[in-house]
Amino acid sequence: MTVASEPMDKPRRRIDVLFLIGVSIVSLTVFLALFGPVLAPYDPTVATGSYAVPPPPLADWPRLFWGSITGSLDQPPHWFGTDASGLDVFSRVIAAPRIDLTIALAANGLSLVFGVLLGLAAGYYKHWWTEVMMRASDVLQSFPVFISAMILVALAGRSMTNIVIALALLYTPIYIRLTRSEVLSQKVRGYVEAARAIGNSEAVIAFRHVLPNSLAPALIQASVTIGFAILLTAGLSFVGAGVRPPAPEWGLMISTGANQVILGEWWPSVFPGIAISVTVFGFAVLGNALERRYDGA
Amino acid sequence: MGILRKCALAGTAIVVPALAGPAAVNAAELLFLAEDVPAGLNYDGPAAAIPTSQTGMVNLMEPLFGYATAAPNEDGVIVPDFSTFEGRLVDTWSYDEATLTWTLNLRQGVMGCGGATFNADDVIYTFERAKSVSGAAPIGWFLSNVASIDGFTPDVFGDEAARALGDEVQRIDDYTVTIRQSEPNALFLPVLTIFGLHIFDAELMQANATEDDPWSHDYTNNVGVPSFGPYCLESWAKDDEIVFTANPDYYRGAPAIERVVMKRVPQSSNRVVILRTGQAQLVQKLTPREFDSLREASGITVAGVSGNENLFVHMNFDVPPFNDPLVREAVARAMPYDQIIQAGYFGQAERWAGVVPSSYPGFVAPADHQYDTDTDAAAALLEEAGYPGGAGLEAFEDAFQLTYVAEKETTLGPIVTAIQSSLRQAGFPVTLNPIPQTQYGDRQLVQRDLPFAINDQEKPIGVDAGYAVQLFFVSPEAGGLNNMVNYRNPDVDGLWAEARVEPDQAARDALLAEIQTTLMDDIAWLPVVEYRTQWAYSDRLQGMQWHPDNSIRFFDLSYAE
Amino acid sequence: MLLRYVTKRLLIGLVQLVVLTVAVFFLIRLLPADPISRFVGLNPSEEAYAQAERSLGLDRPVHVQLLHYLGLAPSQGTGLLQGDLGDSWVSGSPIAQEIGTFLPVTLELITISFFVAFLIAVPVGMLSATRPGGAADRGVFVYSLFAGSQPEFWWGLLFVYLFFFVLGVAPAPLGLLSPMTSEPAVITGFITIDSLLAGRLDVFLEALHHLMLPVATLVFILSGPIIKMVRQNMVRALQSDFVLYARCAGLPARRIAFYALRAAMAPSMTLIGILYGFMLGGAVLVESVFSLGGLGQYAIRSILAFDYPAIQGVVLVITAISLSVYLLLDILHAMIDPRVAY
Repeated sequence: MTVASEPMDKPRRRIDVLFLIGVSIVSLTVFLALFGPVLAPYDPTVATGSYAVPPPPLADWPRLFWGSITGSLDQPPHWFGTDASGLDVFSRVIAAPRIDLTIALAANGLSLVFGVLLGLAAGYYKHWWTEVMMRASDVLQSFPVFISAMILVALAGRSMTNIVIALALLYTPIYIRLTRSEVLSQKVRGYVEAARAIGNSEAVIAFRHVLPNSLAPALIQASVTIGFAILLTAGLSFVGAGVRPPAPEWGLMISTGANQVILGEWWPSVFPGIAISVTVFGFAVLGNALERRYDGA
Repeated sequence: MGILRKCALAGTAIVVPALAGPAAVNAAELLFLAEDVPAGLNYDGPAAAIPTSQTGMVNLMEPLFGYATAAPNEDGVIVPDFSTFEGRLVDTWSYDEATLTWTLNLRQGVMGCGGATFNADDVIYTFERAKSVSGAAPIGWFLSNVASIDGFTPDVFGDEAARALGDEVQRIDDYTVTIRQSEPNALFLPVLTIFGLHIFDAELMQANATEDDPWSHDYTNNVGVPSFGPYCLESWAKDDEIVFTANPDYYRGAPAIERVVMKRVPQSSNRVVILRTGQAQLVQKLTPREFDSLREASGITVAGVSGNENLFVHMNFDVPPFNDPLVREAVARAMPYDQIIQAGYFGQAERWAGVVPSSYPGFVAPADHQYDTDTDAAAALLEEAGYPGGAGLEAFEDAFQLTYVAEKETTLGPIVTAIQSSLRQAGFPVTLNPIPQTQYGDRQLVQRDLPFAINDQEKPIGVDAGYAVQLFFVSPEAGGLNNMVNYRNPDVDGLWAEARVEPDQAARDALLAEIQTTLMDDIAWLPVVEYRTQWAYSDRLQGMQWHPDNSIRFFDLSYAE
Repeated sequence: MLLRYVTKRLLIGLVQLVVLTVAVFFLIRLLPADPISRFVGLNPSEEAYAQAERSLGLDRPVHVQLLHYLGLAPSQGTGLLQGDLGDSWVSGSPIAQEIGTFLPVTLELITISFFVAFLIAVPVGMLSATRPGGAADRGVFVYSLFAGSQPEFWWGLLFVYLFFFVLGVAPAPLGLLSPMTSEPAVITGFITIDSLLAGRLDVFLEALHHLMLPVATLVFILSGPIIKMVRQNMVRALQSDFVLYARCAGLPARRIAFYALRAAMAPSMTLIGILYGFMLGGAVLVESVFSLGGLGQYAIRSILAFDYPAIQGVVLVITAISLSVYLLLDILHAMIDPRVAY
């Protein structure tokens, strides 16, 4: 392999900077997923009574910030304004990771488990049913992703569970494929022969020896896919097949504000968009850094 | 050089319509933006229930009867006088109570777009076709049935012989037709104003029939509809645009606007933008917020009418805890009416005090049965029902999913959010459940299993309190049709059975008033607001008129000089 | 050998399509509603309901419906085998015809976007590949990571706000043409081509003007992965033996770069093919932001309206196109590199 000459590996420090950025974004997202709803100044699902209020001008922010610390304001400021339903945009933006991240993690967890197990089976045993499974996952992959997710959600109803299941169904073939090809290359390695020579059963070899050695590609893929799952969740909300309003979810917020953007009311859509943009970028950077570390090792 | 110049010229050509605005528009042309164009022009076809399809039908076709007009309202919109009928294709008419027979003397010299002259054959054809129940959605039959025209019974669906038109609709001579009813029924004239019994041009319809499709459903679903209306079809591309040109021979005079382009612009905010640039002269179905934003725009008029559009809360009597009258009243008392009017409709709505559109003849607002917002009363009622502060209602979380049509998110979003916020504070475990229009329709009409929903799309098309009662509140066993909340009250059924055949207007009104009082007492529906039907248009456009099907008649409109 | 390979691939593709068709057919019938209530509307009586059910053919047993759909039941009418996708339940028009008007819009949008993205990506990718690890390379790398992980619908909205609302240089997001423009006669269905064929330069320019923002949005998103891939393949090609040989032979740098680019293109095409197939359905978000009326919007409309035959038609057409693209790429690959066919 030409790994050594892969040029991106030479300046180690720069990659660490990117890695740090990725880690901080992801940590912030996780932090908000845990504490966002508690920190939100308003209940993210209850109308505040002021409708479509624009965010305060930047010049007022220091004063408002001081005021909200000292508690001298009648009510907390609407940092990001309010939307047409009177919901506080800032509260919703910071409360949203709990939903977005949960969906992304759950969908990836599910598809990772199923994908790795099925991929292990498909790579380790050559059987007619593993062949059928591979062809089936081919079909599943040639499906238009977005449209099938919409059909699945329309079929089962708009709920977090159903979105998780829909995403998991779409991602499982990816993990099957990745794991299978890794297993195929691992099972001809010497340690497998050795394990077999000592008299281990095939199942033990598959699970105890081949599986741990074949996990890495799937795990790295996961950190990228989590980001994309957030994108897909938001996209589904955008076309009306995501979580139900008024749940704080970034895509849903962009979607409900979308109609007013053309009339100049930008804030209900722009702030959640920035949040998605940064978050998914964070996961992509982290995934990329992990990938490089693994390849370099 | 040559090419460059061409490009430059072409470049300016694009900019012109945007900059020139209204001046570039032909004085007698109208660009009308709607959420869709007609999906079909066949009132017995699959698209008949879609409002924009109805807009196509009412501008191309002509009814037997219409309503006289009353004085314009505060916005300058002309409204119908529902107490006075006007002959349209009918010139004069008489009714014989003994034989329940209407004699219609038809108007002479009415010319259709195809050059055909209107006569009794066209009326006979129209009723023959209605009774054939050959279309996907037999609306013509249904309306005839609602009006108790003899022979238009459900038997037609089982028995082929029953589908032939007998002597109940009879041609006496070229310009005289008689129609016989099976019982006295005040809905006869109102029903004949509705688009679902507008008159076809028999000759052209038959010319476009095929062996497989003797009643020209394919033709009217996809190509056009021949009739005697004020406009003729110039071109029609579904999902894109439909162009109407004035029928110069129209018997009420050639329309002032010679050509109308109705263009599909599905997103309401886009309709706003085009109207503002001056390219379009008329738009409909904006969100209340968008109408509000246009009120200040120069050169644009926003006008509306409290017609028959309303919003109510639907609570299913078959689903606990909505079978408990105390819970129903508690919900009514916790409803944030004022907030809905302000946040949802920007003031363009009023509390609805009954369950029939207040503009309809026979409407009553029972003063003793109004449920203003009163959180203390709501709390007391909940406690009395055995759910102090809402404790115990968690068991009914599924029932408290407030369902609404997802496609209407922009309009209903602020309203359902307000309702959810208020009801949760009162202790009801409300969550929101937007579902697609089709699914909503399926659950409302067919499965009737929506527990808790918000509905802003029920407009009884027959302008009569009795029609509304029969449609929504009579139990299915007694002939109710769209009783989506499974309301069953023998008193209401009995009173309606009496009112239906009551020939005396005053006595009928009294019975209907009693029914409406009972409905409000039982909170059969929880009426919330009546909102204004609004349009935004170029301020040079005048003559806007409201019709109970909420479709604009281009014939009403003209440009100010 | 190649022929046998192609036949085998074609057969597999066909089997996949059939399996998919049947699977989708049954999947759709699990949907929680059917569109009958839309039909009955004003007249929700039981009779009207039965009538509508009959007119949609939903009163027949499921296997009869399936055979009819596949075209294996001549008594019921034509079906897939005869090239008939059925009629839409919402509009009543043939689905093949409807897809015929929606598909070109999507193809036009993504083809132009891919073309532009590629035009940008190749020089940028080459630039960063010639000096790996340099400042330019680092910048390009971060950009491609960023662009490849963005919510395109949000960027579309942002562009609309900036370029339409604030600056006023872009048209309102209203579709390919403004409503006042008369469309040229439909020849290919692609508005840019049809307008040129009809000699309507004004329409052509207007369509380009309206495509400006949606294309910019997609180019931004697509350029991420494409740049990354071009760069990777270029780096690999530049380190390959034949480039080393060319260097040693003293060929001019330009010539070498050209050879390397050619070598880098083959693997790049595969990824572009996959991306293209993905965008057929994936462009739906951008289409709805700009109300372009493409295939994705047709799909959304059909799903929300529970228009069974239309949903089936869209899924089938998109999958068939993506499968053919993959197949074509594989065959091309096999022709270039005969080892694949074995």
